[in-house]
Parts: sequence; C-alpha cells; structure tokens
Amino acid sequence: MISIIGQSMILVALISAGAGSILAFISAKKDSAEGTNWARRAAQLFAILLIAANFLMVYALLAPDFSVGYVAKVGSTTVPTWVAVVSLWSSLEGSILFWGAMLGVYVLVSVRDLGDHHPEHLPYFLGVLLACGVFFTFLLAGPANPFTSVPNPLTEGPGPNPLLQNHILMIIHPPMLYGGYVGMTVPFALAMAALLAGNLGADFVPRLRRWLMIPWIFLTGGIVLGGWWAYEVLGWGGYWDWDPVENASFFPWLTATAALHSVIVVKRRGTLKIWSITLILATFLLTILGTFMTRSGVFNSVHSFTQSDIGPTFLVFLAICFVAVILALAARMDRLEGGAGVRDVKSREAMFLLNNLFFVLFTFVVVIGTVFPLLVEAIKGVKISVGSPYFNAMSVPLGVGILFLMGVGPALPWGVASVERTKKALLPPLIGGVIGLAIALPLGLTNGWALATCFAGGYTLVVTTQQFGLGFGRRGLMGTISHLLGPDRQRFGAYTVHSGVVMIIVAIAVSHTMRSHSETTLLKGDSASIGPYSLTFIDVENTVEPHRRVLAARIAVQQNGQPIGELRPAINHYHTQREPIGTPAVRVGVLSDLYLSMMSYETKSGKLGLRAFINPLVSWIWFGTLVMVFGGLLAVLPRRQT
Amino acid sequence: MNRKVLIIGLVLTAPLVWILASGFGKNPHAIDSPLVGRAAPTFALRQLNGGETVGLTQGGQPTVVNFWATWCRPCVQEHGVLTAAAARYRGKVKFMGIVYEDTEERIRAYLQRSGAAYPTLIDEAGKTAIAYGVYGVPETFFIDAKGHILYKHAGPLNPQSIEGYLRKLTQGSP
Repeated sequence: MISIIGQSMILVALISAGAGSILAFISAKKDSAEGTNWARRAAQLFAILLIAANFLMVYALLAPDFSVGYVAKVGSTTVPTWVAVVSLWSSLEGSILFWGAMLGVYVLVSVRDLGDHHPEHLPYFLGVLLACGVFFTFLLAGPANPFTSVPNPLTEGPGPNPLLQNHILMIIHPPMLYGGYVGMTVPFALAMAALLAGNLGADFVPRLRRWLMIPWIFLTGGIVLGGWWAYEVLGWGGYWDWDPVENASFFPWLTATAALHSVIVVKRRGTLKIWSITLILATFLLTILGTFMTRSGVFNSVHSFTQSDIGPTFLVFLAICFVAVILALAARMDRLEGGAGVRDVKSREAMFLLNNLFFVLFTFVVVIGTVFPLLVEAIKGVKISVGSPYFNAMSVPLGVGILFLMGVGPALPWGVASVERTKKALLPPLIGGVIGLAIALPLGLTNGWALATCFAGGYTLVVTTQQFGLGFGRRGLMGTISHLLGPDRQRFGAYTVHSGVVMIIVAIAVSHTMRSHSETTLLKGDSASIGPYSLTFIDVENTVEPHRRVLAARIAVQQNGQPIGELRPAINHYHTQREPIGTPAVRVGVLSDLYLSMMSYETKSGKLGLRAFINPLVSWIWFGTLVMVFGGLLAVLPRRQT
Repeated sequence: MNRKVLIIGLVLTAPLVWILASGFGKNPHAIDSPLVGRAAPTFALRQLNGGETVGLTQGGQPTVVNFWATWCRPCVQEHGVLTAAAARYRGKVKFMGIVYEDTEERIRAYLQRSGAAYPTLIDEAGKTAIAYGVYGVPETFFIDAKGHILYKHAGPLNPQSIEGYLRKLTQGSP
C-alpha cells in the first residue's frame, strides 16, 4: 500500500514539475500573469508532494514495512528510532528522495519569498526551478525509485550502513551538506531568470545574494562537519584528505564564495554582472558534478555510494545543464553588462575581482586534480592517484593569497583611491601581521608558508577589527554595537565570517606544520611518551555489539607527570564491512588535541600497536566554523522594515 | 548570440563529459594485486580440526585460497557459493579457507552450523595473509597448476563470478 501511495505521489509531483515548468516558460514568453500563477501553484504542489513522500518513507522505515523496496534494503527491526530515521539518507534511493524533500522546502520558501516582487523574473525562475525538479523526480520515478514493491517481503532487513550509526555527526552532516547542495538550485534559478529576463537590477541583487548565502551557510557547515566526523571517527589523525567526494563539496563552495563577493560589487558599483551570474551558474553546475561524483560509482572515494545505474542519467542532466547555461549566457550576456567597470587597481572592487580570480583558480586546481586520474585512465588505461602533495602545493599559496586579500580589500575604498589614501589604509594593519609573526616564531613555527599565513591572518584581523569599529568615535561603544546589530547587521555578519575564516586558515596552517606523532608497540603496563604526555597501556576490552565487534585499548594518560584520565582508542570489525575501522580517542584542548589511534593488537603476545598525535589548534577549525555560520546567519537575516 | 562564449563553452564541456563518461563500467575501488601473474606464496598451515598440515606448494593442482572470518558478513554470504563450487569441481580444483583475525571456537561453531566442504586453515599471527597482501576479507586467490596466481577477487563471490574464474582456471567446463 505504502509503495503504491509513494509511487503515486512521485508521479503526480513529476507531472506537476513538468507541466509547471513548460507553463512558466510559455507565460514568460507571453507575459501572462495568470499562467505564472498556475505555474506557481504547480511548484507548490510539487514541493508538498515531495515532502509528503519523505514523511511516508520515514513512516515505512519506522514501521518497518519491508514490502517497500528501500525499507527492505536498509530497514531493520533492531535499530533505534533515530537510526531508522537517519536511514532515509543512508543509501542511494533514499538520499535522492531526501534531496527531493530539501528541494521541496526550498521551492516553497523561495516562491513565497519572491511573491510578486519581480514579475519579470518570476516565470523564468519557476521554469528553471521546476525543470531541475523534473530531473530529480524522474530519478525517483525510475532509476532510483525508493518505493518499489517487494512481492514476498521478509520480516527483517540488514539495517543502514553501520558507519552512519557510529557518530552523532552523521545525523547532522548529510542534511547540512544537502541543504547546501540542493539550495544552490535557488540562486541558479534566480541567476538564470536574471539572464533570460535580461535584467539584473539593484532591487534584485540583495535577494539573489541572500538566496546564495543560505545554501552557502549550509555548505560551509556541512563540509566542516564532514571533516570533524572524519577526525573523530576514522582514526588517521586528520580531517581533510582531498578525497574526490570531499573535493566535490569544496568546488561549489569556492565559486559560491567568490560570487558572494562579486554580487556586492554589482550592488555597489553596478558592474561585474555577467561575471557574478557566471559564478552562480557555475556553482550549480559544480553541485551537479559533485552529486555525479558521489553517486555514479565512477570515482574512487571512501564516501561514494556503491555502483549504481543512475550515473549515465546524471551525466546526461549535467551535460544538458552545461549546454543550457552556455546557450543562455551566449544569447543574453550582452544585455546585462553595464556599470562603470573597475577603474582603479587600488580600489576595493579591484581587490574583490582579484580575490575572485584566486577563488576561480583554486576551483580549477581542485577540479583538475580530482578529474585527472580519470583522464589518465581513459587515455592510457593506467590507474593513478593525485594525492595531498599536489593539492597542498597548489592550494597553500592560493589560500594565503585569499587570506591576505581579505584584509587588503576591505581596507581600500570603493571607486578611485589616491596613493596617499591607499598608503594610509594599507600600512597600519601591517602591525597585525608583525604581531602574528611575533606570536608564531617563539612557538617554534618555522615553515615559510605557515609564517606567511600567520602574517596575513594578523593583517586581516586588524582590518576586520577596524571594520567592526567604524564610527566608534561618533557612536561610542553601545552605539556601535547597536548599529552593528541593527542597520549594519549584514556588514557585521560578513566581517564575523571573515574572523572565522582567519581562525580556520591559521589553524589549518599550524595543525599541518606543527603536528607531532609517534608510533609505538606496548605490552600491558608499558609506557610511551609524546610531548608532555605519558601513555600507559592498561588492558584491552573486547565487546560484541549487534552490528560490530569492538576491541578497545585502555590507555592511562599523564600530562607533565599528573594523571589526567584514560583514553580508549578502538578497532571495530563491522559485519557488513570488509576492512576493520578504527575509532580514535581524542582529548580535545584549546591549544592542542591528544589523539590516540589503535593500529593493531596481537592476542597471543599481548602487543598493542598505538599511534599518538598531538594536533595543535584543530579545535579552532570547529570553533571558527561556528563563527562563520553565526556571521552568515547575521548577514542573511532580513533587515526589519521601518 | 555571442559566438565566442558559445564555442569556448562547448569546447570545455565536451571533453569533461567524455572524461566522466569514460569511467562507466569500471570499478574505481578495484586494487590491482602485484601478485597476479606471479608465483603464489607457499605455506603450510595447521587445520582447524587438528588433521595433518595442509599447504600450498609450487605446482600441482589448481587451487582456490579464500581468506575469511565469521564476523565478516560478505564472507558468510559467499560461504554457500564456495561450498557448492568446491563440490562441483571436486578432484579438479583444491579449495582452502584461511581464517583471518578470528577465534577457533567461533569458526568451529559456524562450520558446524553451515557445513564445510574443504579444509579450514589457521594462519598463526596472520603471516600468510601478509604474504598475500590481504587488505580485508573476503579475498580469494585463484592459483593455476603451475602455482601462479591467475586472479584475485576482493569482496564476496557470487555463483556467476566464481564459475567464470574456475572455468578459466581449469580451461573448460567441470
């Protein structure tokens, strides 16, 4: 019964999206408000049906009803309620269904937000949005149908991927990432609407920026939560490994960040319109490319779903999107450009453009590194791997450059700046850079790029603080705070994001260059030391859980001779997993983490293989992200109308 | 229509789509074993039930060596496939199961429940698994009569895949 209801919902949603999209484009052509209204209703129906289909699947998973194909694949009577709910996105078909729910929410909210504000853009917006909806509902109706009917259902299922049950972050990370990926459909549809309508007016830009900012916040949170999960769960001591699927979430983040800056130039100076539109369109294309990478089974990644049949369908959609974007740009770009252009290289807009070029270059570097192994295999038939050395060598200079420009750009004025004014703006923050070096050098930081990062971080932090304090002389402390939280909240939010970015980039530089680690073999009662810590192997504990065997080592930890507790790194053997997976034990600190990973245990000899890391400033990455998300929320909340 | 944008866009898109499409039908997770085509490492291991030591020597009969454990669900999944194949190819192909990171009690209990059609060997300290470069279980090695590894299969075998390997190993039908 659930299968029939679910499939019917998907089918009606598909028809609504298809009919609504065609109707919207016809309405745009004929300038028909009535037609646009019907298209809007179709969009709302499409959204409600997809959201309802998700609730139906959650109900089937909780029941559990093994006559539904997806429940038979990932459901189980033995899993806790939260695991049953999380199972919704634990496998391919469910993840596409969940994508549909997210799209439904975005459609409902964005259509309501747009209302009748931009009648010229609205039909194009609806047409593009629903065309994307057609593709995802088509997947749900055909190649990735989660509501298939199982003729002779069993009474028990295998349950979801055990890794999803391993850590609380797996409950939050995928929805956050989806919120980012799916949400990029809205700025894409808005940008296409501006392009097709040939109008990117000053009144349209704030809405476009807000709808770009919302998924950007989700994407930022989702990417870092993924890194945090890897750090807390996988046991290799790091948080980012330039894996194809990690990179796939990073491409759209880079172009979206660039676009968030260039649309400010559009708003302030009326220029860089086509550039901004292109960045937003590229962001969407990169989200589809990223989704293809995760779900096609073509890329070698620890994160990807198993081989599936939807890869070719996704590739066709990606190709159609590319062609549609290129055609729209080629046909309409000449109608959009305008404004004064960038007249002075010492201006803020020039620095924004330079910052954008750095972001785009960064995107190319990551895309090329990710796709290169596939290219070599296609041409030479040889498997190669592009790993961290390439990505680090290329991304570090770009990252430092972006960090420095985050300071230089906001220090400079819009328009034209005299040499005197430029000097006055750019020279005083150098003190921040010097302070950054003065802190880093005595702490033993010797790596050139890491020192450059601390210098750029200090410089940018001074400029950011200056921006927070603008008008302080006139308004006083309370007046400044009230101004920042009131009329100037968007700017305040943006600079709060910058503060978070400074924290993160400095923390990445320090944690990579100053990390220390040691590998040792211990018998019960033996001790080893790393930095100020002494680690004593007490015993091992073997526990059998329904989905895994856990072998945990009890390690007593002393810091400078004082006992500070016990850590328990473990190795897990999941019944459904070929390779054992380690679970590290981490003692989180403000300045550094003590990170223990169990490598092996020989039962007969009682020998424990232990790897210990001291990872400096890693917690700053998580805190910096929180600051970024908070800043993003401040910037995105609409101003109170007066 | 801006032709420059159109041409540049399409010129960039076409190779990207071609590169992505070239990956279909290949398994990106497949790890090529450097041992394939070379002489299989020899071993002599104790049997689970205490019979005489069973080993692999250079040359002799075609052999299938399967590394497995009871805690590994894919291993349990393929157990029936291996048992049936061992019965079908009895006298033509030797089968051996080598225990990987498991206890003898659990293995014994499992085989009593599920049946055993070929010797189960105990790999003390995992030396044989290391010699074969076992990355995770199940992994199965197909060794020809000359003692060379012809194929390595990572992950569970199904009736079609094992039949394919065994036909090539024996160069014909059973």
